[in-house]
Amino acid sequence: MKNNLFYKVFGTYIIITLVAMVAVGLYATRQIKIRLMERIEGELTSYARIISLGFSESEVKDTIERLSTLSNTRITLIDAEGVALADSREEVSNMDNHLNRPEIQEARVRGQGRSVRFSTTLGIDTLYLALPIREGPEIRGYIRLARPLVEVRQFARDINILVLQSFLIVGALSFLIAFIFTSRLVSPIQEMELFTKRLRNGEETGSLMIASGDETGRLARNINYLVAELKEKIQFADEEKGKLEAVFSSMEDGILVLDTEDRIETTNDAARTIFDLDFEGMVGKTPLEAFRNISLQQALDRFKQGGISLSREITVGEQGPRVLDVTISPVQGLPRGEEKTMIVLRDVTRLKQLEQIRVDFVANVTHEIKTPLTAILGFIETLREGAIDEKETAKGFLKTIQDHAERLNRLVDDLLVISDAELGEMRFSFESVSLGDIIEDVLPVIEPEALKKGIRIENNMPEDFPSIRGDRDRLHQIVLNVLDNAVKFTPEAGTVSIEGVDGKDGTISVRISDTGIGIPREEIPRLGERFYRVDKTRSRELGGTGLGLSIVRHLMAAHNGRMAIESQVGRGTTVSLIFPVFLEDITA
Amino acid sequence: MEEKTHTSIQYEKELHGIKKDLLYEGALVEQAIERAVRSLLERDSDLARAVIADDDQINALDEKIEGACIRLLALRQPAAKDLRFITTTIKVNGHLERIGDLAVNIAKRAVDLNEVPPVKPYVDLPRMADITREMVRESLDSLVNEDCDRAHAVREKDEVVDNLNEQIFRELLTFMIEDPRTIHRALLITQISKNLERISDHAESIAKMVIYMVTGKNVRHRSPGEGL
Repeated sequence: MKNNLFYKVFGTYIIITLVAMVAVGLYATRQIKIRLMERIEGELTSYARIISLGFSESEVKDTIERLSTLSNTRITLIDAEGVALADSREEVSNMDNHLNRPEIQEARVRGQGRSVRFSTTLGIDTLYLALPIREGPEIRGYIRLARPLVEVRQFARDINILVLQSFLIVGALSFLIAFIFTSRLVSPIQEMELFTKRLRNGEETGSLMIASGDETGRLARNINYLVAELKEKIQFADEEKGKLEAVFSSMEDGILVLDTEDRIETTNDAARTIFDLDFEGMVGKTPLEAFRNISLQQALDRFKQGGISLSREITVGEQGPRVLDVTISPVQGLPRGEEKTMIVLRDVTRLKQLEQIRVDFVANVTHEIKTPLTAILGFIETLREGAIDEKETAKGFLKTIQDHAERLNRLVDDLLVISDAELGEMRFSFESVSLGDIIEDVLPVIEPEALKKGIRIENNMPEDFPSIRGDRDRLHQIVLNVLDNAVKFTPEAGTVSIEGVDGKDGTISVRISDTGIGIPREEIPRLGERFYRVDKTRSRELGGTGLGLSIVRHLMAAHNGRMAIESQVGRGTTVSLIFPVFLEDITA
Repeated sequence: MEEKTHTSIQYEKELHGIKKDLLYEGALVEQAIERAVRSLLERDSDLARAVIADDDQINALDEKIEGACIRLLALRQPAAKDLRFITTTIKVNGHLERIGDLAVNIAKRAVDLNEVPPVKPYVDLPRMADITREMVRESLDSLVNEDCDRAHAVREKDEVVDNLNEQIFRELLTFMIEDPRTIHRALLITQISKNLERISDHAESIAKMVIYMVTGKNVRHRSPGEGL
């Protein structure tokens, strides 16, 4: 209530009106009283003069009585010593000395005296007027007239009633006027206040409708203008912010922005994924609190010391660690004392793996080539040092040299296939091919080896197996590689079986199962990698290049198919070659 | 917002410094456990030796943090929450340092074990190591986040680790009975298992300290099942 403009203005009006009315009332009453008194005084003076002129001591008593009644005054006659000689109301003997009364004193000095005071005798405000009675220059006594101011009191009372009445009328009127006036003045201001309040709360406001042409109207129009301007700017800022945020959150790289106290201020979705933390787990914390990663903290400390951008590779994550390329740099264009730090995290795990594979590949190729070469060179040296003369030994050596040279040759062939497949330069001549035919073609190649180890090959391919679209030679190679592996890794007297399965889902597959040594589960995903061998020594003994399954994988991909491997250690392995069915009528 | 005086800024800086060092120590300890166990599983003695060498860092931090805490107590007379933080830090710091030592013990046993052929493939030990490391990590997380729920979760895991420790011992016992030649190796493994179990106890203590720091309630001599 106190801080309400309406009550302030209205209250001020009412107070001013009241003060004015009271002031007028008081002033008028006072003026009227003074005038009245002056009139009474003048009247009394006249009486006193008359009395003092026709004064005779003998008949004084009688005269006073009569004059008193006539002039409606109390008349007292006092001698020069102040002793009352006669009085129109009282017994003279009861009255005390009057010489010290103010009116007498004044009369003695100035020739006329007056005083208004409360008369104990009359019980009312009384006007006293005294004149000296002179005989020559000598004062013989005083005549004093007193009139109770009943008249004045009555008059004052009347006036007060009158003023009060007018107060009520004028008060009510001015109250009404003040109310209307204040309302008209304050209501637009209140409206504007409500409007800005709604605006602040973000409610839909429209615009202010104040028709007045004065300052309030102009103010309202200005507010409308500002609001429109502001809305436009906010919308613009929102749009810009939205764009930036969209870019920020859809970035592949994780981003952390640290404030001056190294607490994470902002982050994006990628960073959350990298650290597997939600928003609450990161924002407002230091990186040490949130991630407790030593390498990251060390990099950050180093950055804090030098203030120069730096990049580091760090590893995060407990299971399946991820390699991150971290770049720490200052956020540009901020004022001193508000420096922020930006950490960009790029997941280079995949890159690192690829790099590792490449490094391994080079090492492997070198190793694979080096081994037969060393053997060849060794045997040649032995031959030159004299073994050539022992015919039988020399023959054996030459056979070994040939074996190794052939292995080298196979390796180079395989590498060429792989390289072509990877570069996409392999030429395929696709046609409708029956997988059954392919298997029939491959079996004679593999059978001698199988017979040697006493391995039984069961061909259970159904006669009416659907055809696929493929390159006859490449399919040949696929099946040969898989069958070769099956025979190689199956101990003597084992079984290799081939069956055709129609997946009924648009795919058909050839399943080649063996009763071999099997592959540990965790090794299976790596089988397609080049030179990856489960048991390195054994595989090499068996004459593998380490590229067989890798080639199969590439060739299967070229046929829109894939290879699936199931295995149990000690029980055997099943390789499924899954092809899409060739629907001749569609392509025809 | 009250006006910060120079002293109070300095004071907060010191508090922050202590917190940072403690977390750094925690990170080092987590890393030490992880590496010690990995050096065993991957038979990587170099890694184990790195763990042993890196313990110096943990010990140095331990001394630094304790010194800083005592200095702060003496010079600034922290009150209420800060006081609880400082006292908790002193204790947590001690636990972390002990965990560091236990990780070193594991690394030392790993070096010994890597010299000889394995008794059997490790099954329960890696699991136990995982849970233990998780406990240490979560106890520190609960400290950072002042999160009682997480602290309670840590306390409940301690029992799992205890059971695994006993199971590992029982299993190794059968090996030792079957073939006395395995006794030396089996004993080394039981020591590692025991060390892990003790690490989990320390993690549980840290979790209890956190509950104390956050709620002011002392749960140190109560089992997790008991109410507060």
